Amino acid sequence: MSGGELIAMTTLTLRVGVVAIAFAFWPALGLGFWLARREFRGKALVEAVIALPMLLPPVAVGLGLLLLFGRRGPIFPLLHALGVDLPFTWWAAALAAALVGFPFLVRSCEQAFADVEPRFEQLARSLGYTRAATFWRVTLPLARRGVLYGTVLAFTRGLGEFGATAVVAGIQPGRTETLALGIWSRIELGDDSGALALCAASFALALAATTLAEGWLRRAPRAEVKARS
Amino acid sequence: MQCVTRAGCTLRGFGTALAFAVCVLGGTARGADAVVDVWAAASLREPVSQLARRFEAQAQGRKINLVFGASNALARQIQSGAPADVFLSADDVSVDRLQAAGFVRPETRRVFASNRLVIVAARELTVPLAGPSDLLRPEVKRIALAAPEVPLGRYAREWLAARGLAEAVKARTVVLGDAVATLASVDSGNAEAGIVYLTDARTAKSARIAFSVPAAEQPYIVYVGAVMQGGDQPDLADEFLRLLVSQDGWAVLRAAGFLPPPPTIAPSPDAP
Repeated sequence: MSGGELIAMTTLTLRVGVVAIAFAFWPALGLGFWLARREFRGKALVEAVIALPMLLPPVAVGLGLLLLFGRRGPIFPLLHALGVDLPFTWWAAALAAALVGFPFLVRSCEQAFADVEPRFEQLARSLGYTRAATFWRVTLPLARRGVLYGTVLAFTRGLGEFGATAVVAGIQPGRTETLALGIWSRIELGDDSGALALCAASFALALAATTLAEGWLRRAPRAEVKARS
Repeated sequence: MQCVTRAGCTLRGFGTALAFAVCVLGGTARGADAVVDVWAAASLREPVSQLARRFEAQAQGRKINLVFGASNALARQIQSGAPADVFLSADDVSVDRLQAAGFVRPETRRVFASNRLVIVAARELTVPLAGPSDLLRPEVKRIALAAPEVPLGRYAREWLAARGLAEAVKARTVVLGDAVATLASVDSGNAEAGIVYLTDARTAKSARIAFSVPAAEQPYIVYVGAVMQGGDQPDLADEFLRLLVSQDGWAVLRAAGFLPPPPTIAPSPDAP
């Protein structure tokens, strides 16, 4: 395997992972906050539905995506009208990565928001903060550790996505072949050294993501102190 | 909105950056090249890769995107919307199915090669395999076969059934996803023996060809190519398929060990 191929696959994997997180982040944050603050009938059911992509075999998730977004699926004509044929493009890989990472992100956000002491929020409100200001300036900063942890978890889960991606995006070198898919096709070819090189690249990506997150978490409290003084 | 804490500010900035990432990374840098997507049976990897490079070199601004896999799986993916312009199958069944579903331009359909089944043995296997009954020796613990839906798997099972061995080998069968993976499992020593195409067996690093299925017992193996309906590059797709079935294309296929199309099928007008 050439170095160019390795770089192209790593870039594609990174792109798929970042776009997946970009799509999943805001909805998951909102959903996590909502679930942490509201009690209602059927909440358990909502939580279960959100957790499904995490609990089902990824291949089953891929099949579901293909049935929904595939050529004969109900969503295909809608996207087609917008000029997007999703299946078997890298967008499909990003969609698969976003979906399997989503439950991790929602769970972490929900947990993080639930751990924020409501008294701080009440205090902020009593001092004249609007609901939005309270969320941005009090709740979110206090929940940042969990939110960031969930983001890293969902991101790295998305980087390694295999089953759903193979079904909905196919293993197309140079187009949808992410590192995880590349490892598989090299094993199938009997190219163990190539597979190992791709494993090393995956490892490097995951390590970079966690190191960045850790570094930021460690730096953040100091910044807070400085801001207060 | 003003940020009171740096952490809150950074987290918001982080989220916004992610939103922007969609726009930045989402806009794929499309080159000016005309891209032809060629989806081909795994066993065609070497000759088709070689021909693709030659095709790209013939003129500026054309690119072949190659996807290899089991023909049945590729056909299924094409039916689900995969962007193939040319499909090269290791059997006619997969093309028939696509054609029935309206995905094939029938006038472009060509039978362009054939292949043979051989039995390969892993380097670790100490006993010689001289004939079909040797597959039942106790030393042959695992026999690699492609999955029954895969053309190679179907061919191999047809032959095993004709020799009355289908039931006997069932317990020691390991099932692989495509022709190349089947050879790789024997080549890596994870299966003692396997039934593969002659063309793949020739590329083995450590496995050796134990014996060939006799000519009279060879299943009807055909490689069929066709241009798909509704591709972006119908003319280039057609041109690539024509290169494959041309004299030059045949020379590459023959060098890789492929056989001419079986005589029961009339050779295509472009073929030598």
